[in-house]
Amino acid sequence: MSVYIEGVLALMGINILLALSVYAILMTDQCSVGNAGFMAIGAYTSAYLTVKMGLPLLPALVIGAALASLIGLLIGIPALRLKGLYLVIATLGFGEMVRTFFLNFEPTGGASGFRGPMGTTLFLIYAWVVGFIIVFWLLDRSRLGRSFDAVRDDPEVASTMGLDVIWHKVWAFGFGAFIAGIAGGLYAHYMFYIESGNFSFLLSTMILLYVLLGGMQTFWGAVVGAVIFSTLPEVLRFIHEWRLSFYGAVLVAMMIFRPSGIITRQMVRDLGERFDKLFQTART
Amino acid sequence: MLTIQNVSKNFGGLKALQDVNIHLEPNKIYGLIGPNGAGKTTLFNLITALLPVSGGAIQFLGKELTKLGPHEISRLGIARTFQNIRLFPSMTVLENVLVAQNIHTQSGVGSIFKVQRSDKKFLEEAEALLNQMGLWPKRKEKSTILAYGEQRRLEIARALALDPKLLLLDEPAAGMNEAETEELLERIQEIRNIGKTVFLIEHDMSVVMGICDYISVLNFGKLIAQGTPGEIQTNEAVIEAYLGREEG
Amino acid sequence: MFFQQLINGLMLGSTYSLIAIGYTLVLGLLQMINLAHGDVFMIGAFLGLTFAYLGIPLYLSLILAMVGAGIMGILVERFCFRPLKKAHFLGPLVSTIAFGILLQNVGTQIWGSEPSRYPQTTEIAQFHLGPVVVSSIQIIILITSLALMVGLDQFIRRTRMGRAMRATSEGQVNASLLGVAPDRVISFTFFSSGALAGVAGVLTALVYLQITPFIGIRQGLIGIVAMVIGGLGKVRGAMIAGLLVGIIEVMNDAYFTAGYRDMIIFGIFFIFIVFKPEGLFGAVKKET
Repeated sequence: MSVYIEGVLALMGINILLALSVYAILMTDQCSVGNAGFMAIGAYTSAYLTVKMGLPLLPALVIGAALASLIGLLIGIPALRLKGLYLVIATLGFGEMVRTFFLNFEPTGGASGFRGPMGTTLFLIYAWVVGFIIVFWLLDRSRLGRSFDAVRDDPEVASTMGLDVIWHKVWAFGFGAFIAGIAGGLYAHYMFYIESGNFSFLLSTMILLYVLLGGMQTFWGAVVGAVIFSTLPEVLRFIHEWRLSFYGAVLVAMMIFRPSGIITRQMVRDLGERFDKLFQTART
Repeated sequence: MLTIQNVSKNFGGLKALQDVNIHLEPNKIYGLIGPNGAGKTTLFNLITALLPVSGGAIQFLGKELTKLGPHEISRLGIARTFQNIRLFPSMTVLENVLVAQNIHTQSGVGSIFKVQRSDKKFLEEAEALLNQMGLWPKRKEKSTILAYGEQRRLEIARALALDPKLLLLDEPAAGMNEAETEELLERIQEIRNIGKTVFLIEHDMSVVMGICDYISVLNFGKLIAQGTPGEIQTNEAVIEAYLGREEG
Repeated sequence: MFFQQLINGLMLGSTYSLIAIGYTLVLGLLQMINLAHGDVFMIGAFLGLTFAYLGIPLYLSLILAMVGAGIMGILVERFCFRPLKKAHFLGPLVSTIAFGILLQNVGTQIWGSEPSRYPQTTEIAQFHLGPVVVSSIQIIILITSLALMVGLDQFIRRTRMGRAMRATSEGQVNASLLGVAPDRVISFTFFSSGALAGVAGVLTALVYLQITPFIGIRQGLIGIVAMVIGGLGKVRGAMIAGLLVGIIEVMNDAYFTAGYRDMIIFGIFFIFIVFKPEGLFGAVKKET
C-alpha cells in the first residue's frame, strides 16, 4: 500500500472516531462543538506519557482518553443544565480554553508544539474504529440504547418513566469525550508532531459537519459522513482551492433539502430488516 | 396512599394552585375536574415533580415527593399520561412500551453486553399490554403514524408497562368517540380491579360520573368541592363554576 | 501608563462591542447564533482595505464597507436562516458555519492567504492629553464606534422599526402589530448586524494594519465572548462587555504575558456561560 493511501486511510479512521465522539453526545440531543478539546487532551496526555515517561502506547492512549473523559464529566455536570444553544456555546468555550491552554503549557511544548510521539499503525486505528462500532451497534440493540432514544426524544417524559436524564446526558458526554481522547492519542502518535493549532474550533465544527451530513439519527451516519469527508478532497482534486466553498455550499443545500442527513434511521431499520429476512431464508 | 397537603403553586404573580388538599386511598378511581385553566394539569406536574411546589407537601406511601426528582417518583410507583399525548416519535409502538420496562431492569452500562433472556419475559408482557389495547398488530409501526385514539391507548399501555401503583391519566378520553370511550372506561376499571389506583383528569362528565369513586373539583386553583359523583352533581359551587359551559 | 492602556483597551474593545452587538441582535431576534458573523467582519475589513487602495477617503470607505457588509448579512439570512425556519436549531447554526467557511475561501481566492497590508493613507497625528498619547486613528475609531453604538441604541428605543425589533426579540409580540412586517424586521436586523461588523472590520484593519482572510475566526469568537459576558440578548450589555474584554486583553498584554491572553479570555467566557449564563446584564432560561 502506498504511503499516500495509507495516510488517507489513517486520517479517515481518526475522523470516523471523531465523528462517533460527536454522535455519542448527540445521542442525548446535545450538540458539542468542543470535541477538538477532548481530542487535544487525549493527544497531549498520551504523547507526554509515551515520550516523556516511556509508557507503552496502549496504556497511554487509554489514560489520555480517560483523562479527557473525566474532564468531560466534570464540565458536563454543570454545563448540561444548559439549554441546547447555550450548551453549544459552552462547548465552544471549552474547546477554545483547552486549545489556548496547550498553546501556553510548557511541559508539552507550548507554542512550539510537541514532537516525538509515534507508534500508531493503520491496524491499531481501525481496531479502535471497529471496536467502537461494535459498541455502538450493541448499544443500539440494547435497553440502554432505547433509554438514550427516550432521553433524546423527550427528556421530560423520559424522566417520568424512571430514566435519570442527567445521568444519561453526563454518561453520553463522558463517552464522547473518551472516544475523542482516543482519536487524539492515535492522531498524535501518527503525526509525530502536534501543536495546539491542530485542535481548533474549525476542526470541531468540521467533525459536526461529518455527522450532520452523514446523518445524525444513527451512528452509521457519523461513519459515512467521516468517510465521505475524508475521501472527498482526493476526489475533488480538480477544484482543490474551492474545496471548502464546495463543502459549504453542499452543507447549506443539505440542511435545506435533506436535514436528516444521508443515512436515516428508517434506512437503517429497513436495511436491518432486509438483512434479517435474508438471514432467515438462508437458514431454511 | 397519596396525600396532597396544602399544596400551592405560583408562577410569578399568578396563583395557579392554592392550598389544595386531596387524599387518595388505594384501589379506587379518583377524578379531578374543573373548568379549563383551573390548575389540574399543574397539579399532576407537581405530583410528578416536573414542576416544583411553591408550598405544601405531597406524600406517597410515606415518602415526601417534593424532595424527589421525576425519575425517582416514577420508580416509587407513579406513572402518568399527558394531555397532549407525548409518545416517543423516533420509536415504534413496541419500543415505546419496551423502553418503559427499563424501569424494572438493570439498564446501566453493563446491560449492553448482557444476553437478553429476561427480555423474552418483557416482550411477553409488552405483548399482553398491547393486546389489551388492541395495538399488537401495529407494534412495528412508528408511533406517530397511529390514529389519535390509538396513540392515546398506546400512551396508557406505556404507562402501565411501568407497573405503577398509582396511574395519573390526563384527559384520556379527549378526542375519543363513544365506542372508544366505552372501551376506555372498561380498561380503567380493569386497571383498578387488578389493584391499582387511578387518578384522572377529565372533561367528559359521562366518564367522570360513570367510573369515579370520588371526585375533586378545582376552580381557579382552589379546591371547591370533593365527594362522590352524586354529591358533586348536586353541589352548588360546582354547578356555578360550570355555569354557562356546556360539556359534551 | 495605566491610562494609556485603558485608552488602548477602550479602542480595541469598541471594535469588539460592534461585533458583539451584531451577534446580540440576531440572537435576540431568532435565538440563534450567526457563526458567519466573524467572516462578514473580515469581508468588511477587506472592503475597507480595497477602498483605501483605490484612494477613497476613510469616511466614505466606512460607509461603503458598512453597506457591503450589511448586504452580506442579508445574504446570510436568505441562505442560512430563511429556508430553515422549521428545522432543528442545528440547521441554521451549521449553515452559518458553512457560509463562513465559504467566505473565508472566497477571501483567500481574491486576496490570498498571506497578510495584506493596509495602505498608509491618513496622516496620523498624535495628541497629548496629560500622560496619555492618543493618535488620530484611535480617536476616529473611538468616535465612530461610540457614534454607531449610541445611534443604534437610540434607534432601537425610538423608531418604529427599532421598537419592532425589540418587541420581536423580547417577547411574543407580533411585529406586525407595530406596523412593520416581520420579514422586514428580520432583514433589517441582519443588515444592521452585518453593517456593524463591516465597520468593525475597517476599524480593526486600521488598528492592526495587516489582515488575512482568517481574522474573522478569532475576532468572531471574541465577539461571542463579549456577548455572553454582557448578557445574551442585551445590546447594552454587549456594548459594555466588548469594552471590558478589550481592556482585559490590553491589560493582560501590558502587565502579564501576551501568550495567556486568549486562555484567560476564553476561561472567563467558559465560567460565565456555565455558571452565570445571564451574563452581567441579562436573564436567560435554564433547563429545570
